[in-house]
This record gives sequence, C-alpha cells and structure tokens, in this order.
Amino acid sequence: MKTPTRRLLIVLLLSWSLGPLLWQLYTSFSTNEALITPFANIDHRWTLNHYKDVLTGNPPFWRYLINSLIVGAGSTILTLCIATPAAYAITRSRGTITKVVQTMLIVAALFPYVLLFLALLEVARSLHLGNHLLALTIPYAALSQPLAILLLSAAFRDLPIDLEDAARLEGLGLWSRLRWVLIPLIAPATASTAILVFLFAWNEYPIALTWLSDSSLLTLPVAMARIAGSSIYSVPYGAYAAATVLGSIPLIALVLIFQKSIVSGLTSGAVKG
Amino acid sequence: MLLLLVPAAILLALVFVAPMLHYVWLSAHANSVLTGLVPIPNQGANWIRLVSDQRFWQDAGQTLRFTVVSVSLEVLLALAIALLLDQRWRGRGAARALTLIPWALPTTVMALGWRWIFNTPYGPLNQTASLLGVAPLNILSNPAITWMATVLADVWKTTPFAALILLAGLQTIPTDLYEALRLEGASQRTCFLRITLPLLKPYIALALLFRLAQAFGVFDLVQVMTGGGPASSTESLALYAYINAMRFLDFGYSATVMIGSFILLLLLCLISWSFLIRLQHRTGRV
Amino acid sequence: MNPLKRVVALRPRLLAALLALLILPIGLVSAPFRQIERINILMPAPFADATRPLVEQFNRLHKGNIHLDVIRGPFETEAISDLAISSLLLGDTPFDALLMDVTWLPKYAAAGWLQSLDPWFDASDVETLATGAREGNTYEGTLYRWPFVASMGLLYWRTDLMDQPPETPEQLEAISVKLQADQKVPWGYVWQGRQYEGLSCVFLEIIDGFGGYWMDPKNAAFGLDKRNGVEAATWLRHLISSGISPQAVTNYAEPEALQSFKVGDSALMRNWPYAWAELQKPDSDVKGKVGITTMVAKEGSSSTATLGSWGLALLETSSHQDATAEAIRFLTSEQAQKQLFLSHGYTPVLVSLFHDQELIKVNPTLPKLAEALEHTKARPETPLYAQLSDVLQRELSGVLTGEVSAEQGMKNATKTSTVIMRSAGDRR
Repeated sequence: MKTPTRRLLIVLLLSWSLGPLLWQLYTSFSTNEALITPFANIDHRWTLNHYKDVLTGNPPFWRYLINSLIVGAGSTILTLCIATPAAYAITRSRGTITKVVQTMLIVAALFPYVLLFLALLEVARSLHLGNHLLALTIPYAALSQPLAILLLSAAFRDLPIDLEDAARLEGLGLWSRLRWVLIPLIAPATASTAILVFLFAWNEYPIALTWLSDSSLLTLPVAMARIAGSSIYSVPYGAYAAATVLGSIPLIALVLIFQKSIVSGLTSGAVKG
Repeated sequence: MLLLLVPAAILLALVFVAPMLHYVWLSAHANSVLTGLVPIPNQGANWIRLVSDQRFWQDAGQTLRFTVVSVSLEVLLALAIALLLDQRWRGRGAARALTLIPWALPTTVMALGWRWIFNTPYGPLNQTASLLGVAPLNILSNPAITWMATVLADVWKTTPFAALILLAGLQTIPTDLYEALRLEGASQRTCFLRITLPLLKPYIALALLFRLAQAFGVFDLVQVMTGGGPASSTESLALYAYINAMRFLDFGYSATVMIGSFILLLLLCLISWSFLIRLQHRTGRV
Repeated sequence: MNPLKRVVALRPRLLAALLALLILPIGLVSAPFRQIERINILMPAPFADATRPLVEQFNRLHKGNIHLDVIRGPFETEAISDLAISSLLLGDTPFDALLMDVTWLPKYAAAGWLQSLDPWFDASDVETLATGAREGNTYEGTLYRWPFVASMGLLYWRTDLMDQPPETPEQLEAISVKLQADQKVPWGYVWQGRQYEGLSCVFLEIIDGFGGYWMDPKNAAFGLDKRNGVEAATWLRHLISSGISPQAVTNYAEPEALQSFKVGDSALMRNWPYAWAELQKPDSDVKGKVGITTMVAKEGSSSTATLGSWGLALLETSSHQDATAEAIRFLTSEQAQKQLFLSHGYTPVLVSLFHDQELIKVNPTLPKLAEALEHTKARPETPLYAQLSDVLQRELSGVLTGEVSAEQGMKNATKTSTVIMRSAGDRR
C-alpha cells in the first residue's frame, strides 16, 4: 500500500475509533448554551460545571468507580483462584477428557450469558445476595471461568513437561510444584487473563442491574444506565457527557498500560482455541 | 488431580447448566404476579403463547436483522483494520492500543454517548445536517431507521475485538508464502485472494461465531440507547425476556422466551456453521 | 520493664479509652436525632421537582420528628416502575412510598408490595374526592393509593370554527368534512395513533363511546371482537382513510397532535388537560379560540374519558408507615393541591377545588375538567394490564395502517389476550 493512502486510512481509523469519545469530551466541557447553538458566537462556551455536578451528586460519581473497582478486583481474584487449578488439571488429564472439557468450555464462552439473568435473580432473591458488592463476584467468577481456564490451560500446556518431572524428582509435591514452579512461569498468561476478567466484571451490566438496586452500591455501567433513564427529554447532556468521560478514563488508562497483555490474551485465545 | 477441577466444575454447572434446566421447568409453569410469583403448572400454555406471540417473532426478526447486519459489517471492517494494523509503520503499536479503546468501554457508557450524538435536534449529526440546510432526522424516534443507529453503535464497539482475532491470524501466515507468489509476478490482489484469505478463514470463522452469539444476545446497548423503542422496533429477544420478568412480572413466560431465543440461536449457529463448511469445500482446502 | 512491654501492658486500658472516645460523640450526636423518622418517596423527576416547596414545608412542620426526602426518579413512566420493581424484587427497597400511575396499581397490589391505606383514609376522606378521582385507587376492594393529580382524555375544539363541539362520531365527521371542504383547516381531527400507551387510551374512549368494552377484569372477558369493538376500530381507520385525520396520525403521540392543533392545522384534537395551557401561550395560533369537552359517543352511550392519574401508594416494607401516611396526607391536602395547581397547573382531585374562584380565574377550564371527571373510566384493572395494552396497541396499529382489517385485528387481539391470561396463570 502506498504511504499517502495508508496515512489517510490510519487517520480514518483513528477518527472512527476516537471521534465519538472526543465528541463526549467536547460536550462535557461545553456550556448548555454552547450545546444548543454550537455555531453561534457566545461568550460562555466552556465550563467545568458539568464535572462539578457529577462529582458532587448524591452519591458522588467516584463512588460508582470504587464499587466497580471492588467488584472487578474481587471477581478477578476469585476467578484466578478457581481457574488456575482447573486449568492445570485439564492439561495433565488424558487426551479425550481434555478434548471434551475444552469443547464444553468454548461453548460456554460463546454462550450469551444475558439469558442467565432470571435464574441468577432468583438465586439472589432466595439467598438474599442482592445489594452486596462481593456477592456479585460469585456469578462473575463463574461466568469468567471458561475464558480463564482456556487461556491458562494453553499457558500450562506450553510449559515443557520435563520441567515438572525435574521438580517431581526433587521431591516437590503437587501443591509445591504449582506454587513454586508452574504458576510463576505462566505469570504473563495470568496477567492477561486477570485483565480480561477485570474488564468483564467492570463492564458487566444485566446481572448487576438485577442484583443491585441501592443507589450507593451501583457499579459504573448500572449507574450510567440509570443516569440515561433520567435524561430523555432534557437537553443538558453536558453532565452525562462528563459522566461518560469520567467513566471512560480508568479503562482507557488500563487499555493503554496493559495493551500488550490484552492483545496477547485475546490472540492466544484465538490462535489456540 | 481431577479434584482440582471440582470447584470450577461446580461453579460452571451452577451458572450455566442449572439455569437452563430451571428455565425448562419454569416454562411449563405459570409463575407471574397473578400466581403471587409461585409456580403453578399450566399445561404448556407458555409455549402456546410463544408460538403465537407477535412480539416474540417481531423481536426474533429484529434480533436476527441486527445480528446479521452488524456482524457482517464488523467482520468486513475488522478485516480491513487487521490488514492495516498488520503492516509495518511507525506508531503502529500506539494505534493498536487506541483502536482497542471502544471495545474496552462499558457498553452502557457509550450507549448514552450515542444517544446524544443522534439527538434531535442538538446532536452533532443533526447540527451538521441543519448547517447544510437538511431537515433534522428523528433518528431515535423513527421506527424505520432507529435500528440502524443501534447497528452503528454496536459495530463501533465490537469491531476492535474481531480485528484483533483476525490480526492474530494474519501474524501466523509465514511471509515466505507471499514472497514465493510474488516471484511468480502475482499482484497484491492475487496474494490476498490466494494466500491471505484462505489461511485466514478459520480465524474469520472464529470471529464470526463469537460475534454471532454475542450479537444475538444484545441487551445492554438497546436497553440503554433506545429502551427497545420506538414502538419496540429495536427490541431484542433478550430485552423482551427481561421486560417479561422485570416489567410484566411474568417469570414463567420470561423463561419460555429465553429458551425460545436459545433454540433460535442454536439454529442460527448451525446454519452459519454448515454454510462456512460448504464455503470451505467449494474454495478448497484451508 | 522495657518500654515496649509497658505499652503492651497498657493496651487494654488504652483501647478502652480510645473506644470510649469514639463512641461517646456518636452517642451525643445521635441522641437528639433518635426519634427522627426518615422517609423516602420515589417520584418521576417532574413531580419531584414540582413538589420541592411542599417537601420543605412538610419538613419544617415536622422538624425533629419526620424528615421527608423525595427521590428524583427517571423521567419516563416505565423507567420509574422498572426502578421500583427491581428493588422490590430484591426485597430491600429504600422507598417508603411510591408515586404511581393508575395502571400500575393492580400489579403492585397483586404482588403484595402495597400496604392498605384503610387505617389512615376512611369513607369521609373518599367523599372529598371528585368522582373520577375515586377510581383506580383500589384493588379487590382495598384502598392502596391516594390520588395526587388527576388527568383525563379531553376533546379540544376550535370555538371560532364551530358553534357547538360534536357529541357523536357522526357529528365529528360532518363538522370535519364541512370545514375541510370550506378549506378552513387541512385536517378535521388529530389524535394519538402511534403504537404506544396513548393509543390504548384513545381506543378505550371510542370503544366505550360505541357502547362496547375493552375488558371486564371481574370475569376476564374481552369485548374487543364484539360488534361494538369492531365498529370502534373501523371508525378510527375510517377517520384516516377518509382524510379527516392525516395519514401521519398513525405516528402521532401527544406532542405531534398538539403541534398540529396549535398551528391551526386541525379543528379538533384529543389530548390531556396540560394541553390547554400550551394552547394559551403567546406562540399559539389558536390562543383564545379553544374549548374543551369530552369525547364523542354514539347516541345512547355515554361519553368516556380515559383516567390517567398519579397517586401515592405506601409500600408494605416501610418501617415508618404512620409517618409516611402523614406525608401522603400532606402532599395531597387541599392546600398542597392548590399550590401545585397554581405553580404547575396540576389538575386537582378534590371536589372543593373545582369551584374555587381563585383557581378558576387562573384556569377557566376547571369546571369543564370537573365535568370530564364525571365521565372518567380506568383502563382494565388487571395485574396484566401492560401486556394486554401492548397487544391492543399492536393490533390497532395494524388496523390503522391498513395492514389488517378491523375485524381480524380485534379478533387477533382478543385471542392473544386470552392466551396471555392463561399462560400467566389466570384460571377463569
């Protein structure tokens, strides 16, 4: 491809990906008058008030970020604790079991989990798990299992079997082998799994929507949807844009910092899965 | 050794298998506000209702339309993006990270954003239209076109994911294959048709299946962006199931709708699967 | 003893002292507030904004005893119900009372979420309500809701184009056709024909006006496919096909109908009471030329106005029921209603206010509204109303756009409605 064409395509790609976000950014700093008449000449074009409104609301916006952080971190830890041993067991099992389990995991990973919300709601109702942030990590950890096990078992499989045999000869038991030899060696895969699980838990909507109703416990996606519900007929979108910007910043940071892990996680899943 | 599998297996059975079995059982019962949310057998009345439920079939059609249109657009666009990102140029790493951003954001966050972008008359689209002297278009209140807006929002959000999978596929293709063909004087187009596309096919199939299942279960986007409206023209099956449970307080029928959707999804996957296989046979080995 | 050990030895006492320091202020601070009952009422955003001064008055009045907070919910009617239901389903709702639409009551009551208001409101209280406002507050004989603001479907007519508003469908047609032939107006009659709840409200008025009925909740019988039901649907279709109503009416909600009438494009309009104030604004082309009456009805049938009202309902889970009932009483008191009428034009529910000269001076339509309240009818009072209404809207929309005949459409609607009732567990 010739360089000018390519440059044009790159610009197109980036404006497609980032344009809507930049528009939100612009909206969030604009006064309401500027939003209604964008091309008119007005004095008060820029403002920080939308951010002030959002951050001093009841509850303040950072509360949702913290809630999402708690749920995300809790789910990630729980997922890894359960998925790592399972992934190891699968790689060390006989061929047919591995095949069957793997197929089932792929099907589960493909499953549109939104269809599970009603059953999960009934669980929350009967066990009184509603409005507990940490309770939410249980369904999240369960829903993350397929992806996590697939990624981690791929990583275990890549380790040379001799390595484990050597450790066994040294007299290390199963637990010690895992703890001191194998888990440290798959750290990169664990990291990318952790980030993908975290992203899932941070972004999950339908289950959080039915498990949380207390406005001070909402996770970010539910809080955003609730904000959306109260905005249909009102023009001032500025505050909502400020909320979208604040809600996006942590994730944008995460993506930019852990880009490599995310990409390797997704692609190794694709190449080996 | 297999003991290590137990916690994960229990969790998976509880979350994936038990609910589906529960739905099957629930769909044979009336369990609504009329029964005090207590299940009472109703002799298949839910299924009779499902078969003749106009709204269910309308939503099924809409969900299918949404799935087919947005997934095909996504895969095409993702292929272009993957090809672009596979080439060597300065700043490629940063560009990759930036294109990934839409995928990482919560759907509800940008659903709200899109609502503002499509707003009549103050959103940027209609503002630009009015600047050009075009009458504002009621994008989010016209049943004939609102669904296209939801497709656009979905394509924007999920294309990066498909692009990454295809990019991973591109990187497995050995470069000497291209060189060999080029020595024979083949054009870039021939290279693409004879090497890239055939070798990429399993990855395209993977992206297709993955996205098919996810798009068919679309919920977050329509729930926040349009609420299923106007006149339920953007309502998806998942949203209908949700409304049946949470708005109509009819758990029995909600479960029936979910099983119905699940069966339709299975059919869709089978059809696309056999289509992919047939395509493979026709164009020869991968 | 080395210093470290000394600290350790001191620790229990230190801890006790620290704890005391922590607890004491909490006790001091909380003591005077202990009796304060904090109550929350969820309202759609516009109502929450309108009641703000009233809430302040209430809190001043009950300072030290009750503190009322009105939670500003979403704008959309459905969204607010979704919010309430999701917290009620989980079983720990932060709300003590809910401002609810007339159509939600049977569903909430059947789910067991509402507390009967009978201990706080008796027959003499009900006597103070206008006739129409007494409807839609009870479920199976128990009072669950106290009306807050009334609303009803009205027929708006142009006083400069006709001497008398039409009373029957035939008159409506005749007047429209004549005015259109004389090129006084492009359209005779505009109404809400879009596939949404407004269409159900329109149809309820017409089917009753034709002597039929939509549904009788007592025996779960449907009257849609009976002769009068089919006639009513046929007539609505006829309005469009004969050009009395524009083709676009099939996509009209209240704002579109109002817009058409406001610029003088139409001689008659069906709308709610709020439209009157809009039509008197300076930018209105029909200012001072508008009269209101109730919907047309066939000779021998009485005119019907669909009841649309909001009322306060006490939740069964509330642990401050007396205090909440007190707040409900205050928010619906004569003084509160007067205030809301003057500040926001909310139609009152108390008989006494409809003849208050001070109010009539502000809005001369008040006696007409009182009259319309004599004709109100609630939409079918069943917990499954939302589903049944959806079915009706769907079929009617097909009839109005000509996709299906009125007879077939009404037949389908009846059949589907019966199927829904059965699948949801209705055993009649």
